[in-house]
Amino acid sequence: MRFTNIASITKFEVGLLVLLATVTLVYAEQRPQQSKRAEPAPRSEPSRAPVQSSPVGVDRVNHGTLRHVDTQVVQRPVAVQHPVAVQRPVEVQHSAEVQHRFPNYGTVIRHVDPHVDIGRRQLWHGFVFGERLHGLRPGYIQLFLNGVPYCYDAGIYYQQVGNDYQEIYPPVGAYVQELPPGAIEIDAGNLIYYYACGAFYVQQDGGFVIVPTPIGVTVPELPPGAVQVSINGGLAYQFNGIYYQPVFMNGVTQYTTFIP
Amino acid sequence: MKQTLIISFVLLQFIVAGCKTAPEKPESKAMTLSPPAADVAKPAIEPQADELMRRMSDYLAQAQFFSVSAEVWQDVQLPSGQQVQAGRTVDVQVRRPNRFHAEVRSTRHNHGLYYDGTSITLLNRVKNFYGSIPAPSTLDEALDMASERFGITLPLEDLIVSDPYQNAIHKTISGRDFGPVTILGVPCEHLAFSLGTVDWQIWIEDGARPVPRKIVITYKDEEGSPEYTAILSNWDFQTELPDSVFNFEPPTGAAKIDVAEIKSKNQAHKKEGK
Repeated sequence: MRFTNIASITKFEVGLLVLLATVTLVYAEQRPQQSKRAEPAPRSEPSRAPVQSSPVGVDRVNHGTLRHVDTQVVQRPVAVQHPVAVQRPVEVQHSAEVQHRFPNYGTVIRHVDPHVDIGRRQLWHGFVFGERLHGLRPGYIQLFLNGVPYCYDAGIYYQQVGNDYQEIYPPVGAYVQELPPGAIEIDAGNLIYYYACGAFYVQQDGGFVIVPTPIGVTVPELPPGAVQVSINGGLAYQFNGIYYQPVFMNGVTQYTTFIP
Repeated sequence: MKQTLIISFVLLQFIVAGCKTAPEKPESKAMTLSPPAADVAKPAIEPQADELMRRMSDYLAQAQFFSVSAEVWQDVQLPSGQQVQAGRTVDVQVRRPNRFHAEVRSTRHNHGLYYDGTSITLLNRVKNFYGSIPAPSTLDEALDMASERFGITLPLEDLIVSDPYQNAIHKTISGRDFGPVTILGVPCEHLAFSLGTVDWQIWIEDGARPVPRKIVITYKDEEGSPEYTAILSNWDFQTELPDSVFNFEPPTGAAKIDVAEIKSKNQAHKKEGK
């Protein structure tokens, strides 16, 4: 190519420079993606970060085995009986002021590995039927059930006796917007229960209501304060009129509700 | 000059278009030229890793009896999403072909597990409960039955099966030898394998006694990719293990309770052979 004057050379060079700059920029844009694909992902961070994007369908009861790495427990449908019909909460009122202060725990235990030993103690693990307190923690909830006033704090229900608050069994029909912290999900086949402090909650109307204890379900721990009894010569535990029979399930002791 | 600018512009368009489509080429090529899926899935285990696994397996399989202890650490994801580790200790005694005893201890748990060739017995030492189930006459059959019908996993079962090599390798799709590493002062060889959705690593002691010193299993198919870690110690191939080690005697006041049968699925080790 022949250039006739300096102006045309300059414009050609400018065009060439623009071209080169564009190519460089486009490559620069592409390279990080290419190199990202080529490099293996760092093992520690991505693999240990919570997997949010992909569905997690594996629900192993036992870990630490390659032989049975694919063996999963399938929940058997439980023929649950209810000793009495499930009541809907007749009248439930929330103190808007205190309810607002109630913390949103949202700490439902959805999977319990029977071999893992980890402290999961919550306030309601210290429940003692009939125990009186001089005061409750800030943030408790006031509710009414069939016109009867109750106080509720993190899984424990109270009734006021004089100036004290007495711990009572979780009343059937009580409705709370958030589950007690550390409630354990119990899959009974067609119905999911949430178990805490000997109470069985089911989801209802955007919150959770206590239903009568289903008979025939198995829970991983006894209600706090359950009393050991002998039923027909066998060992059992009793809590709020319901009996719990110990049984080895998945290699550890669990408890199945029954009525003698 | 105008012609020059037009040529430059045309060239520019070609190059930019080429750059933008460049990264897609390998993918489209791979789609048309990639081998069938069956070829891709062929095991890719380095010979050195494979040989070390065979040595370890042969050593354990030929041992008529042994004892080993393990400190186990397991990741647990809390409902809040936070991940923590829970620990326990395991003491295992094995006498081939059909005796097994384990004690599993942690802060709040204390379990015994006995297999005497005819039954498996669980003992909750904290509550003083025990329960028994009839069991097949070999360790392999017994641990399969325990897992699949009762959800019971015998601790360190991958090391006590009759053929630890096949047990570990038959579903493994890749394996590498990462070279020498010291575990608690013991020179070992670090091997890493993958089942695809589950990775596992093993550290095998160097020398004439190729026993595993550490095992890590990473469950990539579970939320948070939790890990199971077992650090093994006190390997003993000398002390004989009499029947009394494996025969269960109920402790004073122990109550017998039922062992509930569960339903399980995906018993892949049976479908694919051992």
